[in-house]
Amino acid sequence: MINEINRIRDEARSKISTADDLKELDRLRVQYLGKKGLVTAVLKSLKDMGPDERKELGAVVNKCKDDLESQLEVRKLDIQRRHIEKELTRTDPLDVTQPGKFVIPQGSLHPVTMVIEEMVTIMRRLGFNIATGPEVETEYYNFEALNTPDDHPARDAQDTFYLNPPVLLRSHTSPVQIRTMKKSEPPLQIISFGRVYRSDYDLTHTPMFHQMEGLMVDQDISLADLKGVVLYLIRELFGKRPVRFRPSFFPFTEPSAEIDVQWDNQWLEIGGCGMVHPNVLQAVDYDVDRWTGFAFGMGIERIAMLKYGIDDLRSFFENDYRMLEQF
Amino acid sequence: MRLSINWLKDYLLNQDLKLNPKEIGEKMTMRGLAVESIGSSSRGLNNVVVGKIEKIDKHPNADRLQVTSVRISKDESVKPLQIVCGAKNISVGDVVPVALIGAVLPGDFKIKESKIRGVDSFGMICSGKELELSEDTDGILQLPKHSSIGDPLAHLVGSDDSVLEFDLTANRGDCLSILGLAREIAPTLKTRIRDPKPARFKVSSHRTSSILKVEVPDATICPRYTAVVIDNLKVTESPEWIQQRLKSVGLRPINNIVDITNFVMLEYGQPLHAFDLRKIESGIIKVAACERETDLQLLTGESVQLQPGDILIQDGDKPIALAGIMGGASTGISAETTSIILESATFNHAQIRKTAKRLGLHTDSSKRFERKVDFMGVGAASERAASLLRDSFDGNVYYPPIDTNAEPPKQLSVSIDMRDVRKVTGLYNLSSEKTADLLESIGITTHKRSANILVAKIPSFRNDLEKSVDMVEEVARLIGYEIIPERFPVPSAPDREFDDEEFLFELHIRHSLAGMGMRECIHYSFTSENNLIRYGVLPDHPVRLSNPISDEFKVLRPSLLPSLLETYRYNRNRNLESQRLFEVARTYLWDESVETTVKETSRVAGLLSGMRSPQGWVKDSTTVDFYTLKGLVENLISQNTTVSLAYEPVTSDKLFFPNRSAVLKLGTTEVGFIGEIHPHVREGVLETDEPLVIFELNLDVLRKYRRRTVRFKKPSKFPAVSLDIAITVDKSVAHQSLIETIRGAGGELLDKADLFDVYAGENIPMGKRSLAFHLSFLSSDRTLEEAETETLKSKIIQALQDTHGAQLRA
Repeated sequence: MINEINRIRDEARSKISTADDLKELDRLRVQYLGKKGLVTAVLKSLKDMGPDERKELGAVVNKCKDDLESQLEVRKLDIQRRHIEKELTRTDPLDVTQPGKFVIPQGSLHPVTMVIEEMVTIMRRLGFNIATGPEVETEYYNFEALNTPDDHPARDAQDTFYLNPPVLLRSHTSPVQIRTMKKSEPPLQIISFGRVYRSDYDLTHTPMFHQMEGLMVDQDISLADLKGVVLYLIRELFGKRPVRFRPSFFPFTEPSAEIDVQWDNQWLEIGGCGMVHPNVLQAVDYDVDRWTGFAFGMGIERIAMLKYGIDDLRSFFENDYRMLEQF
Repeated sequence: MRLSINWLKDYLLNQDLKLNPKEIGEKMTMRGLAVESIGSSSRGLNNVVVGKIEKIDKHPNADRLQVTSVRISKDESVKPLQIVCGAKNISVGDVVPVALIGAVLPGDFKIKESKIRGVDSFGMICSGKELELSEDTDGILQLPKHSSIGDPLAHLVGSDDSVLEFDLTANRGDCLSILGLAREIAPTLKTRIRDPKPARFKVSSHRTSSILKVEVPDATICPRYTAVVIDNLKVTESPEWIQQRLKSVGLRPINNIVDITNFVMLEYGQPLHAFDLRKIESGIIKVAACERETDLQLLTGESVQLQPGDILIQDGDKPIALAGIMGGASTGISAETTSIILESATFNHAQIRKTAKRLGLHTDSSKRFERKVDFMGVGAASERAASLLRDSFDGNVYYPPIDTNAEPPKQLSVSIDMRDVRKVTGLYNLSSEKTADLLESIGITTHKRSANILVAKIPSFRNDLEKSVDMVEEVARLIGYEIIPERFPVPSAPDREFDDEEFLFELHIRHSLAGMGMRECIHYSFTSENNLIRYGVLPDHPVRLSNPISDEFKVLRPSLLPSLLETYRYNRNRNLESQRLFEVARTYLWDESVETTVKETSRVAGLLSGMRSPQGWVKDSTTVDFYTLKGLVENLISQNTTVSLAYEPVTSDKLFFPNRSAVLKLGTTEVGFIGEIHPHVREGVLETDEPLVIFELNLDVLRKYRRRTVRFKKPSKFPAVSLDIAITVDKSVAHQSLIETIRGAGGELLDKADLFDVYAGENIPMGKRSLAFHLSFLSSDRTLEEAETETLKSKIIQALQDTHGAQLRA
C-alpha cells in the first residue's frame, strides 16, 4: 500500500512539475486531490483497515496530500510569475503623449458665472441668503424707494432704458433690496446677482452688465461691520491686497463709500457701499430707530477682468468660442 | 472740476506753504472729493532751463549746422554744454531755452545724448513752437537778457503750476468752485481760507431803477435774482492774471466781460451772465416759465426749441436767454458793447436739470444750478464781478443793485446725536469736542446742547446737509474711513425661506450642461427686431425699449435661440465647427397681469453642431442629430428634476423643422422645444449644411420639480430575468406608444423596457420598421420562474399585435 501511495505521489509530482498553465494545474489538483481523486480514494479506503494500519497509512497519505498541495501552490506561483514576465515583455508600450479620447467633450461656465458662483459660496458662508427680483422694474423700485427722486442729479449717472415710463430696465440690482425688505421683517442678510442695464456703449461700457448686491439689516449694524464683511469677501476673491474705503455719495446709502482695490500699483474701483439711508428703511416700513443696515454692490465683469486678465469688457458678450474654451 | 494749485494759493491764509499736488490729491480723494488726475501745466518743460550762448563755431561736416557752447548754470565751475544747432537766429550772448538730456518735449519728443554728423550734442536749443509756448516757427525763442541762467524755464514763463482734476459726486455742488475746494483743502494743510471779500456797492447818483426793472412773478422758479447795471465799459482783453487763471483750468479767454463772469463763476461757483444793456428794448427783465413751444437762438448760434416749463429770461415778453443754461444770441456781449446787465441768480434746480437734459445742453452754468448754488453767494459773486469791472476797466456801477429777495432764508440747524455717530462709525470713544472741531474746520459751527447732542449751524453753501444722517456722514468722512475699525457681524439665522434654491437651480443647470461638454454663453437681453424676424420668433407685441441705443439693441428677447444661432454664425465665420453652446437667461413678454407689465421667464437654450465629440485620432465620432440632443436634454432634466416629459412632434413652426422637432410637455403645459432647424432658416439665414440641433426649456416650470430629495429604494435580492423581442410595425407608430403598451401588458414585474435597435430596409416591408426591445423582469420578493416570464412575454407580444398591428420578428 505504501508503495502504491509513493507511486501516486511521484507520478503526481512529475506531472505538476511539468504543467505549464493554470488550467492544467487545476486539472491535476482535481485528478489527485479532488473529491474523486486518486489520493482521496486512498484516504477513503483507510476506513476499512485495522486501527494500527490505519494510523500508520493515514500519516503517510496525509503527508502525501500536504506535499502535493504545497507542490501545486509553488507551481502555481511559478506559472503566474512566468506569465506576468511574458506579458511585461510581450505587450506594446502606449504612446502616453497621444491625446485622450473620453467621449464627452469638455464644457465650461462663462467667466461671469464663475465669479458669481465664487461670491455666492463666500457670502453664504457668512450667513447671507440669495434674493432675486425682476429685471424689468418700475421707477418706484429702481429710484424712488431708493431715495432717488426724479430731480436728483444722481439719476444722470445711470442713463436708464425705458419700456414705457415708469416701466424700465433696472439700472442696478438694488431694487431687489426693496422687494425683499418689503416682504420680510428684519433681521435680514441677503445677496443678489443679476443683469443690469444702462444706456452706455463704448470701450469701457456695455449696455448690459452684471452686478452683485449685499444687504444686512440688524440692530447695531455699523460701518465697522460693513468693512469686516466687504474686506472678507475681497480677500477671499483676490487674496490679501490693499483695499481702501473712499467717502463717496449714493442717494440710497449714507455714509457712502467707494471700494478700491490696489492692482499693479493703481487703485481700481470695484464697488460702492454704505449704511442704508434712513429714507430707504422708511420706504419699506422698517423702524429706523431700531434697525440699521449696510449695503454694498460690485460689478461682476470688473472682478472677472481682474481675476482672469481680460482687458475688453465687450468680449464678455461676444461669445467667441476661442474665449469660451479658455474657461 | 479743475483746480490750479497757483489759483488755490490765492485763497489760503498761509501763503508760504509748500503745496504738494499729489499729497493734496490723495487727501482730498480720501475725504470724498476724488481727484481723477493731476496734470501739470509745465508738462513738457521739465528739464528745460535758461541757457546763455557763449560760443558759436561752424560744424565741420555740415554747412547749415553750428556747434554752440551753452552755459546752463550760474556756477562758473559747471562746464558749458556742447550743443549742435541748426537755427540761423542765434548769436553769442543770446539767452535761450535749453532742453537738457532727459527732457521730454511736447509731442513726446525725448532729448537724448546724440552725435549729429559726427559731432556730440548734449541737449537742444529750442524754438517757441517746440515748447508749445508760441506759434512762432522762426528760429530759437529769445529770452530776456536778464533772465537767471540755469533756472527752470517753467518759472520764467509762469507755467509752473499743477492742475487737479476732480470727479465730484452729485451732492457736492459747493466744490464746483475754487473757494469751495479751498475750504476742504485748507484744514488738511493746517491753515484757513482767505475770502477775496469784494468791495461793497457804492452809493452812486446813477440809479438802477431809472433804466431797469426786474420782474419775477413766480419765486419758485427763481428764488433770487440780482441785476447790476454797469456802463462806461469797453470790450477789450482781460487782465493777464485773469487770462492766466482761466487758461490754467482749460478755459479760453474771450474778452474782459466774459472772462470776468467766468472767473467769478469758477471762484465762487455762482454762474453769472452779462446782457448787453442796449439790446434790452423794454427796460424790463422778466423771469418766467415758458408757456408755449417757441424757438430761441443761443449764444452759440444754435437754435433750440423751448417747451412749456423751461425757465426763460425775457426782455419784457421776448425770450432772450435760457435761464441758468445759456444766454441768447440777440443780447450777447459784442465788440460794440459799452453797458451791461450783470445777472446773478438762483433757479429751480429740478427744472434746470430737466431742460438741460432734454436739450443735451450741459454747460458750466447748468451743472452748477442743477446741484443748487449758494443762496447767499449770489450777491457776493455779483459784487466781486462788478468790482473787478469797476477797478480794472473804469466801469460805472449803478446803485443800488436790483435784488428780488434780499432777505436770506433762515439758517438751518441740525442736531447731531453723538450716540448715533458712535454707533454708525463703530468709534465708541469719539468725543463731541473732537466732532465739533472737525466740523468747525470746514466752516460748520456747532454748540453743545446736552451731553450727547451737538447742534450744527449749516452754512448756506452746504445745502446738501439737511438731516442728522447727513451730519453723521460728514463726521465719518472728516475722521477718515481708514480709522473706522473692522468688525465681523454675527449672522442672523433666517426663519423663512429665501430664493437660494431658485438661484441654485439655475446654477445646477449650468453645471450639468458644462459637464456634458457645453460652453456657456452670455448674450445681451435685447436684440434687433430683424433678428427675431429672421429666426421666426418675433411676437405679435414685441417688448421694445423706448430709448434704445440702436436698432441692434431694441427688443427684449422672447427666446434665447436667435442669439445662440447668431453666435454660432459668428464662430463658424471664424472656421469653428462642432460648437456646443448654451445660455441660461430670462425671456420677456408683455403681460398685464404682472406688476411690471412684463412677464420674465427663466429659460435655458442650447445648440449642438458638427461632430458629437471632438475629432482627432478618434475614429468613432459621429455627427450630432436630434437624438444626440434629446439624450443630452433627458440627462439634463433627470439630473436636476423629478419630472418625465412627453415629446410630441412639432407640426408647424418657423424656426423648428416640422416633424423633425418635438415640443416637450408636462401634462398640457409646454415646457420647451427641441429639434432640427427649419430649412428656411438653415438655408436663408445660416447658410450651412453642417448638422445643427437646438433646444429651449422653461426653467420656471422645471424648477417646481427640482430634485431636492431622493427617496431610496432597496435593490431586489433576487435575480432579474432578461429577454429580447423584435417586432415589425407601421412606421407611423411612435416608440412612446409601443413602450406604453409594453408597460401596460408587462405589469409590475416588468422592470425595464429599453429600445436597442431600430431598422428599416431589406427584409422589412415598405412602410414598416423593426424595433427591438430589451425587457427585464424583476420581483422584490421571489425568484421568477421561467414559465412566468414566458407568459408575460406572450402577453406583451399579443398586446402589441392587438393595439398596433405589430408582428413578432423571427
